[in-house]
Amino acid sequence: MKRSKSLKLALMGASVLALSACEEPQDVAIFENVDQCSQQDGFDRSACEENMKLAQDEHLRVSPKYTSVEDCEADFGSTQCEIAPVQTSSGGSVFMPLMMGYMMGNMLSGGSRVATQPLYRSADDPKSFRTGDNQKVAGKTGISKVPANVAKAPTTKTSTVRRGGFGASAPKMSSPRRSFGG
Amino acid sequence: MQRISLEQREDWKTQAESLGFNFHTIDDAPYWDESACYRFSLEQIENDIEDPSEEIENLCFEVVQRAINSEEILTKLAIPENFWDYIRASWFNQEKNLYGRLDFSYDGKGPAKLLEYNADTPTSLYESSAFQWLWLEQAMELDLIPKGCDQYNSIHEQLVEAFQNLHRNKDIDGKLHLASCQDAPEDEGTVRYLEECAVQAGLETSFLHMEEIGIDENGHFTDLDDMGIRTLFKLYPWEWIMTDDFGKAVPKSGVTFIEPAWKSILSNKGLLPLLWEMFEGHPNLLPAFFANDPRAADLDGGYVKKPLFSREGSNIEMVREGEQPLKIEGPYGEEGHIVQALHPLPVFEGNHTVIGSWLVASKPCGMGIREDNSPITKDSSRFLPHVIY
Repeated sequence: MKRSKSLKLALMGASVLALSACEEPQDVAIFENVDQCSQQDGFDRSACEENMKLAQDEHLRVSPKYTSVEDCEADFGSTQCEIAPVQTSSGGSVFMPLMMGYMMGNMLSGGSRVATQPLYRSADDPKSFRTGDNQKVAGKTGISKVPANVAKAPTTKTSTVRRGGFGASAPKMSSPRRSFGG
Repeated sequence: MQRISLEQREDWKTQAESLGFNFHTIDDAPYWDESACYRFSLEQIENDIEDPSEEIENLCFEVVQRAINSEEILTKLAIPENFWDYIRASWFNQEKNLYGRLDFSYDGKGPAKLLEYNADTPTSLYESSAFQWLWLEQAMELDLIPKGCDQYNSIHEQLVEAFQNLHRNKDIDGKLHLASCQDAPEDEGTVRYLEECAVQAGLETSFLHMEEIGIDENGHFTDLDDMGIRTLFKLYPWEWIMTDDFGKAVPKSGVTFIEPAWKSILSNKGLLPLLWEMFEGHPNLLPAFFANDPRAADLDGGYVKKPLFSREGSNIEMVREGEQPLKIEGPYGEEGHIVQALHPLPVFEGNHTVIGSWLVASKPCGMGIREDNSPITKDSSRFLPHVIY
């Protein structure tokens, strides 16, 4: 047969997002520190340390950043923020929440699709761990299941200084155009 | 290869609209046209379209390999010098390509002749991949065509598989952003369809318009939520990116682009003279030269002059001995031209027919057919389904 065997009715645009819900939840492990991790059955200390180090590196990259400590504390609570090792372009300080724990794959079930990352606790929901892009993970340490998208590395929030730098080279057509492709 | 007139499905317009395929009719003229279909034998598909497509793709890789190491060629292709290293790096780093469409002149007999390669921003994807497939299943069900027909079209399956591989191998790491220009509904439809294929492959996606992309102070591109873009599928030509204001930020942006920058060599009409120079006499190639090459004057029997960056038939000029030249107006051409030996499209019941041969991840996997009343096909050319039996 030279054609697709089946074709989940492919729409152009409409209801695209409805299909993303059916991914398998991922097994993850959540710890506040290396000691807690190494006490978990099946987890050895060197892997715990390695993942902690990875999460700490990611912490600098993916933690939410603020230009005032007040804004940061409003989201994460009093004394829950630290100075980030970066500065604004005008030399001002940047603040980020303290890392409250880390998430890694479950070493007993492979867990290879889980991106090791830092976890935070927000002021309005202090019982839960959250990822750098503010997705709720779990309220307890140890092994948990989370939706697959939560187990992925967070993308970083940044600040856009300008938009509109693409598009100017599209030729100006005299009549409306359906397509610039070919 | 035959053109067969057919009864249309009564409700095809309703179906098209419920699927979001809203550009099925253009200014009251049909774009999707199922009043006829083209019939092929399996041998015609496999020997004359599929195998040559694979072979040409491999020849094209040899052209890229040669072009990226030649300042002379990159200059001829009118590629800005500040992008040469970036294009080279995209090739050496094996940045993955997703899809492309080879356009052939083919009449059912003899070798299909390559007219051009839409390697960077091909459209008419959804109608080839999905709506044509649906037509086949329903037309067999309604006895409009014999039961047991087949179609050269596993495009959808291949797209989902290609995205799965990109996902698994971390070529797409994290969210995939997809973009097309504002006010180009067909392009947006094509991108929305690709977005759906990516979602079916388990990727997280986000659509925005090219004009909406932002930049942060570190030179990284951002989406409308100020999130950094890591992988961008763009239905927007590389040569425009290179001249846009944000273009100069591209090489250091850290963004993985699909299609990758090395595709700018293949989507350039300069590919055609480069192929001819390296593989002169290949049965699927037509003689072609850069316009300032003296050998261009030797093309007897007529020629077609094409701007390096032309799209959708714009600024194409067809010259035949003893006839008025035929010219499509448009905005392209300042960048230079090529000339290609004339190999007119075959005519079926007054219609000029071009074959679009689809490749996904460089694997040939399907076909779409366009018809026009004029010998030069354009963005308004009708799309007709095909069958194998």
